Amino acid sequence: MKEHKPEVLELKSAYPATPKKLFEPLIVCFACNYCTYAGADYAGTARIQYPPNVIVIRHMCSGRYDPLEFLEALRLGADFVWHAGCHPGDCHFLTGNYKASRRFALLKKLCEQLGFNPERLILEWVSAAEGDRFASIVRKLLQKYEEIGPSPMKNFKEEL
Amino acid sequence: MPEKVKVVNEWLCVCSGCEISLLNIHEKLLNLLDRIEIVHSPVLMDVKEIPEADIALVSGGVRNWENVEVLKEVREKCRILIALGSCAAFGGIPGLGNLFSREELLRKVYIDTKSTDNPNKVLPCKEVPPLTKMVAPIWKVVKTDYVIPGCPPEADLIWDALSSLLDGKEPCLSTRTVCDECPLKKEEKKEIKVVKRWYEASEGFDPERCLLEQGFVCMGPATRAGCGAKCPQAHVPCRGCMGPAATQADQAASMIGALGFLEVDPELLVKKVADPVGLFYRYTLPSAIIPRYVEDRGGETR
Repeated sequence: MKEHKPEVLELKSAYPATPKKLFEPLIVCFACNYCTYAGADYAGTARIQYPPNVIVIRHMCSGRYDPLEFLEALRLGADFVWHAGCHPGDCHFLTGNYKASRRFALLKKLCEQLGFNPERLILEWVSAAEGDRFASIVRKLLQKYEEIGPSPMKNFKEEL
Repeated sequence: MPEKVKVVNEWLCVCSGCEISLLNIHEKLLNLLDRIEIVHSPVLMDVKEIPEADIALVSGGVRNWENVEVLKEVREKCRILIALGSCAAFGGIPGLGNLFSREELLRKVYIDTKSTDNPNKVLPCKEVPPLTKMVAPIWKVVKTDYVIPGCPPEADLIWDALSSLLDGKEPCLSTRTVCDECPLKKEEKKEIKVVKRWYEASEGFDPERCLLEQGFVCMGPATRAGCGAKCPQAHVPCRGCMGPAATQADQAASMIGALGFLEVDPELLVKKVADPVGLFYRYTLPSAIIPRYVEDRGGETR
């Protein structure tokens, strides 16, 4: 198509723009209070070495993760968004992690349709005793980052 | 007799359903026309220039550069700008075009379709306004004062908005969801253990009961009230044309949150929701949190 107009019109948005400076690569981990957060805590107390690229967001239960937070983490430029929680059957509130897994499945399909690499969206359960598993997942994601590169939202602009 | 309030009606990327809905006010339109004068309306009259006016009703989203220019001119010449209909308010059905680039769209329409006879592969490039990079609701381009959502907007909502503006009051929309005004019977305590696609309704369903509780994906929980829940009452699941409710930011996020409560296997749920963007963002993709297709090419994007 022949370009008619070099003009670019930046759009207003109801959501904040992607921050210019971000820790790279960035993993946003949603953690539940009773398993994953305790597991991440255990990784710290046991002095297991793992990269500092992960932001852990604590909720009382994985059933409380709001899909909006998931999408907002992606919008703000997270390279990986990780839904964590108790192993199936271990939820403190009985069924919270099943709800999270259903929401995650839908969110993954939605984000795939919007163009994201599905490998950026991770569902991994971590129990309170699995500090080493928490650390190894973070290490594994950083290896994967070498293959799939930064999030496409890093230079996302809303313009006409 | 006091001077009539001048109203401009302009359309952008639109099917003209919103204008038909304005007619749907019926007899009350006569009361309205005693107090307003429609000075510009491409659907009704031959118009060349946009005159100065008090109220502008703009329907349709922004799809090409002509829309941008027209919209800016309307904003300059009118005191109150109202987005009429879901296309103006959220981007609407044409907004699903944001899943593709404009080159892909033009190629599909003018070259790839089987019924197209275009041996030289000519694309429209002269004397037609070029497409914008993405579809946008009008509030992303100019300041918008009020929004009347709906596809098409309910005639009562248009009447309420216009008559309260004429009386010097602030028009307001319902803050609740479609489920709150839906009369279908909800047996709230019962666990929902099925999920079905709408064509499976031919196998039988209970017309008196909540459709979501019977496993049909109805957008009621994630949609603003104001339409009187007409679709569920006619036994059709809500499609979400009124956009997200007042406390919700993003329709897909709210609906996915609601669907988490269906006690079904995640794989089955994903199978039954075959097209999440088309279902959850049918009317709101351009104003969603991620408003268009993002190309994930990893390292190359830098």
